[in-house]
Amino acid sequence: MKIIEVRDLSFTYAGGAKPALSHVSLDVEEGEFVLVVGPSGGGKSTLCRCLNGLIPHFYDGEYSGKVVVDGLEVDRTPTYVLSQHVGMVFQNPQNQLFSLSVESDVAFPLENLGLPREEIRERVDEALSIMNIEHLRDRSPFELSGGQQQRVAIASILAMRPRIIVMDEPTSCLDPLSAVNLFNSIDEIRRKLGLTIILVEHRVDLAAARASKLVVVSDGQIVYAGKPRDFFERHNPHAYGVAFPRVAKLSLMMQRMHNDWDGVSLSPEEFVDEVRKHVGRF
Amino acid sequence: MSVVFENVHYTYPSGVEALVGVSVEFASGEVVALMGENGSGKTTLLKHMNGLLKPTRGRVVVEGLETSRASVAQLSQKVGLVFQNAEDMFFESTVYDEVAFALKNFGFSEAKTRRRVEWALRFFDLEQYVSHSPFLLSGGEKKRLAMAIILAWSPSIICLDEPTIGQDSLQKERMMHMIKMLNLQGKTIILASHDVEFVAELNPRVVLLSKGRIIADGMCEEILTDLPKLEKASLIPPQVVLVLKRLEDLGVDHRVLDVEQAAKNIAKVLTV
Amino acid sequence: MSLFEGLRFRPGNSFIHKLDPRIKLVTSLMILLTAVVYLDVIVISTLLLIEAGLIFVAKVHGLWSRTLRGSIPLASLVFLITFISQYSREPVLPTAVGYSLAYSFRLVVFLSSFSLFFLTTTPDEIALTLQKLRMPYEYTFAFVSAIRFTPVMAEELRAVMDAQRARGLELDKGPFTKRVRNMIPILVPLLVNVLRRSYELAEAMEVKCFGASKKRTSLRVLSVKHRDLLFLAAATALFAVALSLKMTGLEPLRLSPLLGKYFPV
Repeated sequence: MKIIEVRDLSFTYAGGAKPALSHVSLDVEEGEFVLVVGPSGGGKSTLCRCLNGLIPHFYDGEYSGKVVVDGLEVDRTPTYVLSQHVGMVFQNPQNQLFSLSVESDVAFPLENLGLPREEIRERVDEALSIMNIEHLRDRSPFELSGGQQQRVAIASILAMRPRIIVMDEPTSCLDPLSAVNLFNSIDEIRRKLGLTIILVEHRVDLAAARASKLVVVSDGQIVYAGKPRDFFERHNPHAYGVAFPRVAKLSLMMQRMHNDWDGVSLSPEEFVDEVRKHVGRF
Repeated sequence: MSVVFENVHYTYPSGVEALVGVSVEFASGEVVALMGENGSGKTTLLKHMNGLLKPTRGRVVVEGLETSRASVAQLSQKVGLVFQNAEDMFFESTVYDEVAFALKNFGFSEAKTRRRVEWALRFFDLEQYVSHSPFLLSGGEKKRLAMAIILAWSPSIICLDEPTIGQDSLQKERMMHMIKMLNLQGKTIILASHDVEFVAELNPRVVLLSKGRIIADGMCEEILTDLPKLEKASLIPPQVVLVLKRLEDLGVDHRVLDVEQAAKNIAKVLTV
Repeated sequence: MSLFEGLRFRPGNSFIHKLDPRIKLVTSLMILLTAVVYLDVIVISTLLLIEAGLIFVAKVHGLWSRTLRGSIPLASLVFLITFISQYSREPVLPTAVGYSLAYSFRLVVFLSSFSLFFLTTTPDEIALTLQKLRMPYEYTFAFVSAIRFTPVMAEELRAVMDAQRARGLELDKGPFTKRVRNMIPILVPLLVNVLRRSYELAEAMEVKCFGASKKRTSLRVLSVKHRDLLFLAAATALFAVALSLKMTGLEPLRLSPLLGKYFPV
């Protein structure tokens, strides 16, 4: 079932010289894990903001086309309604947390919506539990590590019970180990809650294996939307400003040496499995 | 020796022990990658090189000058430090003035300033923006401007704090190229990074830090294939190494960083 | 500034910490008002002793003493001014000293009267108190945000200073005019940073439905318990006694002819 439909979307920021997005179309099925990649400044962040209503409600500019998210037309629905269907997590953990305690931060959107106290209590407890941060409940956001802060940011979004979560380079400020831990958490909540995830990332080598769909955005256009493995097999990622995971390169080299090497691996585990299939066969 | 750290200890005023007994030497013209997780002491170490931080115990000597006896301005003439968020230090109305700022502070003549600014902007492909406002540049251009600003006075030692954070593959390739070019010009390059794949390709000397201590120091291939040490430093090993390690039982040597070499090694055991 | 140390929250589990912040606010106000009404050194000293007692129960005496120390410069100034004006009016040394002591002493009580409130109340509770006082949510939010982002901005300031020093900027050298001009490379990037951060925060606020409902609810509540009422009753009683003594002209100082000679009422 299609949960996101983008049709012929174009957007130019007010005062911008050229369009940030130009006639973009995209479909996302419910439950997909979409990885959005591409060169810096190519339009990935703009696309994210079109999915949750920040464009056109928060950003001024020339907007044309149609975006339907979870049955709602984005340009006709107020952001506070959209936020309960599409949550958004930003790059800088520090600038998404407002309160002086983790609990307050997770409760913040629910308080803004005017929900009754009992329900807020229930949802806050639920969100803290899902993200495994109950032990951080009374801590101040400033004292937390980057990875912990991002978990709080995600919990605060989960409290609104959206069906889709959009994340714009959430691990930019984190070291690789924290990034992997965060991706594992994201994958876990996706499976547990049946969420649809749109993840913008440069760290392709850490995130690509989990993705069910790869979307490459460059120069305001979608230049590829399909299976991640196929992209690395058929295109030169570097030409699109996309990182080339080493195992993918390795797979391609093995393919050149052995014709029946099956597909491109996107994680060390996948590659190792593939190797073991070929043991004693050459 | 260009830079010497002698049993350096540093404790922040908040009480956090950031460096514990660090002793290391960097030779002139070397490229060294300081690696470790966030909080391991990499940035603290870099800040000791231009005197922003002075050791609470031990000493740091940069090109014969002891840092505790010199000012940041003095040391900065020898050591250019490019911070992580270097794009956040702009304040002038034109790119030219932004680059010239440091040169004026260091007492360069008008003529020399002009020459150096033009050279730096050309090196980083920014000459067309010379009269533009630095705030109107794109993200990538701002990062290049930050480097141009530091390189303008041609310090012999260049320190880069996480130069590849948040960058796409084209920008990273450019950064790699710049580092190599600068090294060819004789500069000593010290970079702090947790990007193992980038460092693996650069192939410098690698110093591993964990909780303020140096736990390993050696050639790139030696260190980035040492899985126990990488784990201690909370670093994820390069994908190639992870793959080869898991195929150990087939007789594959995991101490390889080069993708082509790894492919050949795997092919060899498969045809057995 | 050590004066402001008395306004920083210190976490704790004492009886005072657990009191409802509104009660503490009212008590602090009563202490302030008593100090306004009286100049009587006996009363002022009693107030200070009461405050000290409460501070000790809350175990925040370390910070409180720093406020007291921080108020010494200002108190000394008041002492000097009062001394000069009193002595020129009536050149009796002990009286002049007495007057100056009274005024400067009272100032110290003024400055530390709200320490009790700020030292034992979390910023969250302060925000809740402000909300209960019917302050519009936008202002409470601004207040909490300011507290929340102060350490962040302090870090930013350090980062900007480091970056500019690495470009040869020397902040502690040169004539006054140069030093003022040297603030520009610090202030401009800081300002730009604040603006950018505000924009990102605004986006996050939008995404978290800020302003969605006119009737904003809250997870945490302030509730007045028995011990709060008892404390309030005791404080109000003392306040009432103090006021009535003043109104009937029975200031404690008048009871001691010796002290009454040198100290003002």
